[in-house]
Amino acid sequence: MSDAPTMAPATTTVDPYVDDVLHLETPANPTEGDVTIQNYTINFGPQHPAAHGVLRLVMELDGEIVERIDPHVGLLHRGTEKLIEYKTYQQALPYFDRLDYCSPLCMEHSYVLAVEKLLDLEVPLRAQYLRVFFAELTRISNHMLNLGSHIMDVGAMTPNLWLFEIREDCYTFFERMSGARMHHNYFRPGGVHQDVPLKLLTDIADWLDTRLPRIFEDAISMVADNRIFKQRNVDIATVSREDALAWGFSGPMIRAAGVPWDLRKSQPYDVYAKMDFDIPVGTRGDCYDRFMVRVEEVRQSARIMRQCLAEMPDGPIASDDRKVVPPKRSEMKRSMEALIHHFKLYTEGFHVPAGEVYVATESPKGEFGVYLVADGTNKPYRCKIRPTAFSHLQAMDFMSRGHMLADTTAILGAMDIVFGECDR
Amino acid sequence: MIAPAPAWATDLNDETVEAARAAIGSALLDARVRVGEVQLFVHRDGIVAALTALRDTPGLAYQQLMEIAGVDYPDRPERFDVVYNLLSVTRNHRVQVHVATDEDHPIPSVTGVWPAAGWLEREVYDLFGVLFEGNPDLRRILTDYGFRGHPLRKDFPMTGYVELRYSEEEKRVVYEPVKLAQDFRTFDFLSPWEGAEYGLPGDEKAAPGAALPQAKGAQTPLAADAVVKAGQAQSDTKAPAASSEPYAKTTAESRADTGKGANSPDAEPKPANPDVNPGKGGQNQ
Amino acid sequence: MHSGPVELKADAGPNSLVPPDQGFFDSLNGELTDKGYLVTTTEDLFQWARTGSLWWMSFGLACCAVEMIHVNMPRYDLERFGAAPRASPRQSDVMIVAGTLCNKMAPALRRVYDQMSEPKYVISMGSCANGGGYYHYSYSVVRGCDRVVPVDIYVPGCPPTAEALLYGIMQLQRKIRRSGSIER
Repeated sequence: MSDAPTMAPATTTVDPYVDDVLHLETPANPTEGDVTIQNYTINFGPQHPAAHGVLRLVMELDGEIVERIDPHVGLLHRGTEKLIEYKTYQQALPYFDRLDYCSPLCMEHSYVLAVEKLLDLEVPLRAQYLRVFFAELTRISNHMLNLGSHIMDVGAMTPNLWLFEIREDCYTFFERMSGARMHHNYFRPGGVHQDVPLKLLTDIADWLDTRLPRIFEDAISMVADNRIFKQRNVDIATVSREDALAWGFSGPMIRAAGVPWDLRKSQPYDVYAKMDFDIPVGTRGDCYDRFMVRVEEVRQSARIMRQCLAEMPDGPIASDDRKVVPPKRSEMKRSMEALIHHFKLYTEGFHVPAGEVYVATESPKGEFGVYLVADGTNKPYRCKIRPTAFSHLQAMDFMSRGHMLADTTAILGAMDIVFGECDR
Repeated sequence: MIAPAPAWATDLNDETVEAARAAIGSALLDARVRVGEVQLFVHRDGIVAALTALRDTPGLAYQQLMEIAGVDYPDRPERFDVVYNLLSVTRNHRVQVHVATDEDHPIPSVTGVWPAAGWLEREVYDLFGVLFEGNPDLRRILTDYGFRGHPLRKDFPMTGYVELRYSEEEKRVVYEPVKLAQDFRTFDFLSPWEGAEYGLPGDEKAAPGAALPQAKGAQTPLAADAVVKAGQAQSDTKAPAASSEPYAKTTAESRADTGKGANSPDAEPKPANPDVNPGKGGQNQ
Repeated sequence: MHSGPVELKADAGPNSLVPPDQGFFDSLNGELTDKGYLVTTTEDLFQWARTGSLWWMSFGLACCAVEMIHVNMPRYDLERFGAAPRASPRQSDVMIVAGTLCNKMAPALRRVYDQMSEPKYVISMGSCANGGGYYHYSYSVVRGCDRVVPVDIYVPGCPPTAEALLYGIMQLQRKIRRSGSIER
C-alpha cells in the first residue's frame, strides 16, 4: 500500500520518446474505432487443382490483394540432367518426352537437333517433314490442354470437355505413329524412328478439315467473346514489351506482349523455312491476349500441317549413317554389318565429337533450349535444359502484384506451365 | 553445316566477335567461333560490365538472357564454367558468354542487368555451389528443403547420399542413407582399341591423326567444330554419297518376293561398302 | 445385392434388346413392390456403397496426371463408375498417385494421405510411382510411393494408358468387394 504514492508520479514523467510514439498520428496508424489489419501469408499448393501440377506459392495478401508471391518450385525435381550424364545419347532421349509431358515431341526436337548439330548430320527431307508435321500436331494437342484448363480455371466447364476430345484424337494419331500415346521417343538423331502409314496421314488430313475446326471453333466461340471470360482475363497481368524482353519471356508470352518473335520463323529449323504461316501477336500483353495468341496458333499449326501433307516427299526417314541410325530389322537379318551396327548402337551408342552448342526450338510454351556439352565420348558431358516455364514463373511475382487472389489462377493458366519441364 | 539446326544469323559471327572485343575490352580473355556459335570468355570480375555492354551496345544488342548453365570440370583449377546464353531479337543472333570460377570465388550477379537472372543464378548455385555476389535471394531452388551438397557436380553420386521413407514409429518422413536393391549398371565402353588413354603394345600405328571420322557417329579425336569444317571442305570436293541404302544388296527385295534361293556371291556385283574405309584414323568396328 | 447371372427373358425375340442384369432388377423390383423392403447383409451394403462412389483425390504429380485427366474426360468417362475427382482429401476415398514422387514432395503426399478419412485406398499409377521407374537412380526421387504410403493397386506403364488406369480402378473395386468388411 505504501508503494502506491511513489508509483503515481512515475507515470506522469514518461520518457519524451515514448510519449512521442504514443501520440504519433499518421494515416497508417489506426485511429479510434478502426480494426488493425495485418497482411497475412497463405500457402497455395503444392497440391492444388489450379496449380497445374506441383507448384507451391507462398502468397502475402493484403485482404484479397496479392502483395508478393514467392513461388517454390522443385517439387518435381527428378534430376534429369544428372541422369542424362550417365546415359548414352540414345538412352537420354526418352527423358525429353518426360520433361514437358504435354508436348513431348517438341522437347525431343531440341535435343535431336543439338545432337545433329554436333555431329553435323544430314537428315533426309521426309524425316524433316515428318518432324515438323508431328511437332505441329503436338502443338495443337498441347494448346488444347492449356486452353481447356485455362478456361476451367476461370470457371467454365464445357469447352474443356470438348477440347479434350481433340486431345484424344491427337493421342490416337500419336499411338498410330509411334505406338505410345504420350511418350513417343519418335524423333531420333538422324531422322525419325519409323515411317508412318499412308492411311494415318490421310486420316489426319480428314481430321484437320472436319473434326478439328468443328469442335475447336465451337469450344472457342463459347469463351472468346464471353463477357465473364473477358472480365476474368482482359487487363489481368499486363506485361509490356520491355518487361517481356528483360524477364526472358518467349513463345506465346512474348508474342502476346507485342513482340513478333517466333523461332520457327526467325530461326527456322527442319523445313519450317518452307512453310507459310503467320505469327499472331497480341496488343495489350494481358491474359486474354495470351489466350487468343494460342487460339490462333492452333489454326496456324493446322495450316502448317496441311502444307506438310501436300509437300511431303517419299524417301528415307532417317539418315543412312549407320554409326548413328540403327539399320532396319530386315537388314539385320541379311547383313552381318547391319547386325554389328545394331549391336554397337544399342550397347555403346554413338560418339559425338567434342563441342558445345545451344540449340533452341519453339516449343508450344516458348523457347525450349538444350545446351549440350559433348566431350567426344558416347555420353553427354553436360546437358543443360533451358525450360520455358522457369523464366515465366519467375515473373509471376511482378505479374500478379496488385491483382486479386482469384486472378492468380488466371495468370497461372495463361502462362502454360508444366512442372516436368520447369523442375526437370 | 548440313544439319537442320535452327538457322539464325550465323553470318554475323565474325563481326560479333570484333564488336565484342571492342565493347568488352580487357575483360575479354578469348573469343572464338565453335560449331557455328560465338563463345566469349570473360573474366568474372568484368562480367557485369561485359553483359551490360553486350546488351546496350547498338551493334550487339542482346536484349534477352535466355539461360545460365553451369558446367563442372573437376580437373581444372577453376573448375566451374558458367555459361550465359544471350539472344538478340533484333539481330537474330545468339552468343555464349563463358565465365570460369571455383567454389570460393563468387561471380558478380547480373540481376541488375536482367531481372530474369535471379532464378537462373539460384539454380546454378543450387546445382553447382557457385556463389553469386549481389543476388538478393540466393536460396536453393530445385533441390529438397534441407538438401546437402550440389548434385550436378561431377563428384556428387547420381543416387545421392540419402533416401526417404515414411517411418511408422516416428509418424513422419525420415531420411536414411541410400541402400539400393540393385546397383546402377555402367559399362566402360572405351575399350583399349578405341579412345582409351593407354595404348596396347604393337598398336602404335593407330596414332590419333586428324583424319575425319569414318562416319558421323564414330569416335574421333576432332572437335565438333573441326568435323563441320572438314566435312564442308570434303563435300565441296567429293561427289555426294553413293547410296542411300548401304545394305541394299541390289536384288535383295525381289529375291524375298519371289522366294528364290540366294545367288552365289559371284553372281552379284559387290556393292561398294561405305563403312569400310581403308584410311587410318581408328578401327572401331 | 449380388449381381446375379444375366437372365434373358424367355419371350425375348432374337432382335430385341435386353438390358444387362434385367432378371436381377426384375426380381429386386418384385421383392420391393411385394414386401416394401429389401433384405441384404451389411457387408454387401457397405461394399456396394464403397465401390459405387470411389471419389478420388487427384494427386497429379507428373506425366501420369495427364492420363489421369484423360480417364476423367468424355471418352473414357470415369464417372460412370461413380468415381469423381475431388480436390480435397477430406472428401475422397482413393488417392491416385500419378507420377514421379520426389523427395521434396513426399511429406506433402503423406500429409494429404493422413488427411483422408477412412476407409482410404491408394492406387499407384505408373512406373515412377511404383518403383522409381526411369528415375530410379536419381538423387531426388523416392523409389516407389509405397515407401511413403501403403498402396493397394499398382498400375504399370509409363504412363499407363487411360484404359489401364480404368482397369486399375475396377481392380480396386474387386479388391474392396473381396475383402470388404465394416472396418477396413
